[in-house]
Amino acid sequence: MIGLSHFLALSAILFGCGAATILTKRNAIGILMGVELILNAANVNLVAFNLYNWAGEAVAQGAAPAVDGLMFAMFIIVLAAAEAAIALAIFLNFYNHFSTIDIERARMLRG
Amino acid sequence: MTPENLLVLATALPAIGFAIVILLGARVANEKVWSWFTVGMVGGSLVCSVIAYVNFMAGSGEPVSIAWNWLQIGVNADGSGRYLQIGPYVDKMTVLLFAMVTIISTLVHIYSIGYMEGDSRKTRFMAYMQLFTFSMLGIVLGNSLLQLYIFWELVGISSYLLIGFWYEKRGPQLACKKAFVMNRIGDMGFAVGMGILFFKCGGDLVLRSAESGPGIFGTIMDRLAIDPLNAGADNWWLTLAGIGLFMGAMGKSAQFPLQTWLPDAMEGPTPVSSIVHSATMVAAGVYLTARIFPLLTPAAHLFVATIGLITLIMAALIACVQTDIKKVLAYSTLSQLGYMVLALGAGSYTYAMFHLVTHAFFKCCLFQCAGSVIHAAHHEQEMTKYGGLLRKMPITAACFAVCTLAIAGASIPYTEMALSGYYSKDGIIAATVNYGDALAAHGMDWGKVFYWGPTIIAYVTAFYMTRAFVLTFLGKPRDRHLHDHAHEVNWTMWFPQVVLASFAVFIGWSFFKVGANIHETAPEMAQPFDPEHDLAHGFHFVHAALLHGFGWMISIGLGFALYVNGLSIASKIAAIPGIAQIHWWLYNKMGFDGLYDIIAVNLGKALSSILGAFDRYVVDGAVNGAAWIGRELGFLVGGFDYQYVDGTVRGSGRAALRLGSILHRTQAGNIRMYVLILFVAVFTGLAIATPFALGWVWFGLPSH
Repeated sequence: MIGLSHFLALSAILFGCGAATILTKRNAIGILMGVELILNAANVNLVAFNLYNWAGEAVAQGAAPAVDGLMFAMFIIVLAAAEAAIALAIFLNFYNHFSTIDIERARMLRG
Repeated sequence: MTPENLLVLATALPAIGFAIVILLGARVANEKVWSWFTVGMVGGSLVCSVIAYVNFMAGSGEPVSIAWNWLQIGVNADGSGRYLQIGPYVDKMTVLLFAMVTIISTLVHIYSIGYMEGDSRKTRFMAYMQLFTFSMLGIVLGNSLLQLYIFWELVGISSYLLIGFWYEKRGPQLACKKAFVMNRIGDMGFAVGMGILFFKCGGDLVLRSAESGPGIFGTIMDRLAIDPLNAGADNWWLTLAGIGLFMGAMGKSAQFPLQTWLPDAMEGPTPVSSIVHSATMVAAGVYLTARIFPLLTPAAHLFVATIGLITLIMAALIACVQTDIKKVLAYSTLSQLGYMVLALGAGSYTYAMFHLVTHAFFKCCLFQCAGSVIHAAHHEQEMTKYGGLLRKMPITAACFAVCTLAIAGASIPYTEMALSGYYSKDGIIAATVNYGDALAAHGMDWGKVFYWGPTIIAYVTAFYMTRAFVLTFLGKPRDRHLHDHAHEVNWTMWFPQVVLASFAVFIGWSFFKVGANIHETAPEMAQPFDPEHDLAHGFHFVHAALLHGFGWMISIGLGFALYVNGLSIASKIAAIPGIAQIHWWLYNKMGFDGLYDIIAVNLGKALSSILGAFDRYVVDGAVNGAAWIGRELGFLVGGFDYQYVDGTVRGSGRAALRLGSILHRTQAGNIRMYVLILFVAVFTGLAIATPFALGWVWFGLPSH
């Protein structure tokens, strides 16, 4: 039987992959992919919590099923799309400026 | 109006004029308007004085004395307050001097209009003249010595302002300073004399007061009981007081040894000289001596007479060799003042005042004539450059000639027809004869010098005045350029001269013959030596025949003979060895200026340098020490401020900078580093928070 823990484990694995991608990739597109992975890890969590939430018994007794987690997930997908659009626009400008999208080249702060 | 009210008004008018002119000045009217305004004010004063004179002389002649309490300065033995009093005092002398001062002042005001023509500060000059007149009238009106002293100082400051009127030039600057300082020395004596009189002699400073006892005139009542020529030891305070008060007169009337300021005062404009030498300043000293006359003890009389004798001889001799026309007249004034002071010392109160009045008219006229000549000669004052001005300036020459005869004491032999100087000087010599005899009668044989001196000097007076007249107006012109430009002065200048010259002719005669007996102008007590008066006249007429019959003619003839061809004969005489040295000595005013330079000025300078050193090292040292302490304290506080207060501020700044320099390395734009730090931070946070969260889930919230 697949339980909440499996979903959470999947989510954790996705998050870990995303984080690892962000930390290791030099390509900006790759980093954007990592971000998408992390966002989707969150989505998996939200959907899973919606499915296994403590109000399940009330639904079983005839209450209307909760859609809160789903709604959050939908918002995150929209957010991710918007974010991708902005990020790609930034990368385009980044490319125009540096003729590359290697983020190591963006270290122009004189810190 | 009563005489005292009229005289107060007469005194106030010039003061009001002065205030109006000084306060409104050139903004309201031009100098011409102001000049005639001041003449109007002093003219009003003249009218009041003349009315008061006529009223008073027509009346009973009783002195009017008003004394108001001014300041309480102590308590009498009976518990009543002791006051300093002020107020007007009017007797025959007062009204006589008021008339004289206002006549002369009015004429000098008119003369100034012509003489000061074109001077940029003419308005101010006229205002100062008003102040001068006011001060002098205040002296004459004063009922208290203290009041006299106040106006005395006002006369001092007015003369200072007027002598130094052309303050752009070095000469007037020094001259006005000298006049002021010399007068200060005399005034010190005046103040001390007043103090002695008030505290040691128990005298009121009031001349005569009905309410508060007899005043200083009352003191004479006691003194009359004393033998005039036996000064007892009991009244030596009175002697000292008299001499002290007389010192004030010595300063103002320029008596030996304070005489040096008067010739220097010639640096002032000539109208100033003419009023200073006649009606106001120098008259004040003689007036004061006459007022305190009842106080003078025999010893003080001797002192006064000696000072007068020395002054009259010394000044007359110096006048014989001076070549500056104003200097000659200045020394002539000194000599004539010597006569007045000698007369006072010799006990002839009346003739001193008589000579003061007659001298005022002819000396004022002489100075105005000299001023006219100087004016016409483009401010050349050396008589060596004059000569032959008679035709160019006939009116001035005539006035000068008349006044020369007046001062020489000219008379028609064996008659009593004479110019004014004759009568007054004659009276003075008579008094000195009397005095000399009185001294001789008391074993002082040398006392005869008191009449031989003035008698001989009367000849000398005629001589040096003739010399001045001849050198200026007769002979050949010695400076062609000057002579060509000379011209008669305009009417504002010659008119006062003519009026004064006519006074010089008639005033003596009218007083002597018409104006009743001048002896009556004096208080009765002012003639302690009178019993022998007739005897003195008997002896005196021998002198009079010699001196005033022919003597003046001899002196004047000698003057003509010596100087009609300029200085050619005189310079040969002055070159004779022996005479040359005396000439040099006299020409340099007997070396008094040099002597005072050596004694007083150098002493003053030495004292100043000692005081200066004290100031520099002790006073400045204390100030500098205080400053040094302040500065050191400042360094201390500053160091604390720098080290600790500023140190804290700077330290916190430096700490922020260090922290920044460490942290800035993390802000280098390395995005993956940022993310790593973010993750590490979040996981660390979670790792710390987890046990708490688990505890909370498992065991519940901690209860308090």
